[in-house]
Amino acid sequence: MKIVTLPRLMLVLAIVLAAIYLFPLYWMYVTSLKGQSEIFANPPTFWPRDPDFSIFPETWERRHVGMFLGNSLVIGTGVTALTVLLGTGCAYVLARYRSAWIDVGLFTILMLQVLPASVMITPLYVGFNQLGLLNYPRTAVVLAASAKAIPFYIVLVRATFMNVPRELEEAALVDGNSRWGAFFFVVLPLARNGVLVLAILTFMQAFGEYIYSKSIITTQAYQPASVGLSGFLGPNSTDWNGIMAYAAMYVTPIVAIFVILQRRIVAGLTSGALK
Amino acid sequence: MRRILSSVRDGVGFDILLVSLTMIFLFALAGMPLVYNVMMSFQEVDMFNLGTFWRPFVGLENYQAVLSQPEFGLVMKNTAFFVFGSIAGQFSLGFLLAIFFMAKFPFASTIRGVFLVSWVMPGLVVGALWGWILAGDFGVLNAILKSLGIIDSTLFWKSDPSLSIWAVTMANIWLGLAFNMMLLSVGLAAIPRDVYEAAELDGANAFQRFTSITVPMMRATIGAVLALGLIYTLQQFDLFPAITEGGPANSSSVAQYWAWQRSFVLFDFAKGATISMMMLIFVFIASVVYVASTRHEVRE
Amino acid sequence: MTVQIEMRNIEKHYGAFHALKNVDLDIEKGSFVALVGPSGCGKSTLLRSIAGLESITSGTLKIAGEPMQGVPPRKRDVAMVFQSYALYPHMTVEQNLTYSLRWKKVPKEERSKRAREVAETIGLTELLGRYPRELSGGQRQRVAMGRAIIRSPKAFLFDEPLSNLDASLRVQMRKEVRALHDRLGATSVYVTHDQIEAMTMADFVVVMRGGVIEQRGRPLELYDQPANKFVGGFIGSPAMNFVAAKGADDGHSIVLDGFGQETLDVGRKVEAGRPLIAGLRPEHLRIADGGTGFHLQVGTVEQTGSTTYLVNGPGDFTMVQNERTDVKEGDSVALSIDPKQVHLFDAETELRV
Repeated sequence: MKIVTLPRLMLVLAIVLAAIYLFPLYWMYVTSLKGQSEIFANPPTFWPRDPDFSIFPETWERRHVGMFLGNSLVIGTGVTALTVLLGTGCAYVLARYRSAWIDVGLFTILMLQVLPASVMITPLYVGFNQLGLLNYPRTAVVLAASAKAIPFYIVLVRATFMNVPRELEEAALVDGNSRWGAFFFVVLPLARNGVLVLAILTFMQAFGEYIYSKSIITTQAYQPASVGLSGFLGPNSTDWNGIMAYAAMYVTPIVAIFVILQRRIVAGLTSGALK
Repeated sequence: MRRILSSVRDGVGFDILLVSLTMIFLFALAGMPLVYNVMMSFQEVDMFNLGTFWRPFVGLENYQAVLSQPEFGLVMKNTAFFVFGSIAGQFSLGFLLAIFFMAKFPFASTIRGVFLVSWVMPGLVVGALWGWILAGDFGVLNAILKSLGIIDSTLFWKSDPSLSIWAVTMANIWLGLAFNMMLLSVGLAAIPRDVYEAAELDGANAFQRFTSITVPMMRATIGAVLALGLIYTLQQFDLFPAITEGGPANSSSVAQYWAWQRSFVLFDFAKGATISMMMLIFVFIASVVYVASTRHEVRE
Repeated sequence: MTVQIEMRNIEKHYGAFHALKNVDLDIEKGSFVALVGPSGCGKSTLLRSIAGLESITSGTLKIAGEPMQGVPPRKRDVAMVFQSYALYPHMTVEQNLTYSLRWKKVPKEERSKRAREVAETIGLTELLGRYPRELSGGQRQRVAMGRAIIRSPKAFLFDEPLSNLDASLRVQMRKEVRALHDRLGATSVYVTHDQIEAMTMADFVVVMRGGVIEQRGRPLELYDQPANKFVGGFIGSPAMNFVAAKGADDGHSIVLDGFGQETLDVGRKVEAGRPLIAGLRPEHLRIADGGTGFHLQVGTVEQTGSTTYLVNGPGDFTMVQNERTDVKEGDSVALSIDPKQVHLFDAETELRV
């Protein structure tokens, strides 16, 4: 696609497109800083007349944001740990061999990747209920969300492992390593970047997880931030600056991590999803 | 025993161990529930027998009951609208942006990467943002459309039954657009530049190059992106509780939300399981297309 | 001489593919053995089986008298130099060199002392702190060698180690590898597809094809007495010319197909009428001063300055002259063939007659 144009003009156009696309994010921050009356001004103001930062501590306090974010952190960490623990080795093996068995495994994993959470939640809920796991709701959510995250993680981390030359591992075996040694001292350090990026992506996904938490966790003290947000959100909401302040406190850490690691995340994501 | 241990240490036992641990986990938390779901769709499930495994077998009664629900037709229509609207929007806009960002200008890949922020945000937050943007009297979208002269009266995106499905579809297009763009960019970048140069020398103009080179060479990518679009759209759930809650009067309810409501609002787990079984058929069709499109990668 | 690596009736199957067929081979301690053959002939598979990276389906393999059945690579005490060098990209040259010592629990000071010694030997002393990506191709190759040397293993296994180097460096490294082998008194098994490399470096050359050992012997034995048509064609460059032939009526001469009725007295008994294949090395053919019964219709002439290659029209017959000639395309030249230099193979079995 050879588009003959002035690079400058393209850059300006690109920035305008990005600005339009990211407007919802801007609108979130701006709204959160507006006063109750300014929110409902007609026509709306695109820059707050009198930015009021007190909404943040106030919402934090009133909406238990700290507690909710703490639970999101627990769930996100749990899911990430379990996913990395169970997914990394499996992805490595699926990258290492080529055989009909490996194809069957890959196909199974691709199939599991496509199962909608809304399909899985009913049987999982009933199953957890029978096993008594509903008494440990956060653990139950971690298990359910990991099962959702692992296939995705395996497909992408496998692509990273496929870039590690097989001969390096063989050299390590000849040099005196067991399979474990070769994996931990040679293969894994070389796939470190991909594993790290996907662990972060897994964490971000789990940090925003909603449907399993909403269905399984009934005690407010254990609910994550997504469920906390849904508590005062709906078709008839009016407390918009509060909602936007909550949303801002919720997504700012994720957006910050994303912006910092943008290059690596995009590379890690695109290397494996398609090729 | 010693042979097994030494195989785990030095041989294929290592591989088998790593794969089987994961497979057992996935079997327990994805395979079994799937089978259980099939079972429940043929059983009578209520609050009293929720804790048991074997329940009265009712044949296709659940399926008949779902089909005869008054809202069944509406929900199916909404699902089709949501799925095709989302995919059409995400794909066409994503493709245009991907082509735009293939041009060489400073910071092209960085700016393109920034778009992906929409994809890492929690779905519920995206729902909240769009819920506010689309608000009737005070929403910024209406204000912008009015000032541009596109509409003259306020549109009640969330509460007008003829518009509510548009509201969630728009939010979903925004959410998935960047991911589509990114995958299509990868596909575009994989086409060797000299093929275009050869076509240019052969006298093809820009449009002819697009239809005769880009589209055919992107066929596998396009197939995979569309299939992934279908899969992800059917997985999309968070926007519904955040924007419309499926309302008003189910006018924006889709299969996945309806199934969940059946189970967790009305505690009718049998119908919830049945609706999700019906949905799965579509998901599996999409998966077959997806796997077929990416098979060359899998085989590598 | 003791046998360092002993292979008996080795068979290897990959699913339906029969990669090694009944391989029997002894490699003596201190010898340098080259495995050559076209790609897919099983030479790399055999080498990897010795290393333990592939398992053999049946047969016995012993290293220094120890049976290797079920012994993992790390316990075989062999070192391997890979085609891609397989240097660990996340480790410095010193860490690469001493990686194997780490797992032998050699103390740290001892390890760096040995690394310095080895670096001295192969001329890498200044590079010990660098990473592989900062090295040139030749330097990487040396590190790969050093990583093998530092271990003083029971055998060195080389898997086409020079094929990624440019031509002049390759010639130089051949000598260095061989010199190193002699200095260390090591046992080396060297896989290559380049028969010149095999001929110049090895004490013994093993020619393989289709998972079978076709012939083993000293380099010149293979050149002078190829056991069959394949070895004859594989060893030597440019390749041997093959001409269908028949035993003449006198019982000790042959008639070459396409070269008239002139007979060639090979000086040994040849059954009259027996179908044969005559192998004529391009470098053993001369342009005759006078007329002979053998003529070559010249198709192309290639001059390299030192030598002249004459190829016939269809391109299946080559001769090499060490002096310049003014022969042109389309000329017909008379050939003088030394009967002692003619190799004869049975037309049916392709074995040497």
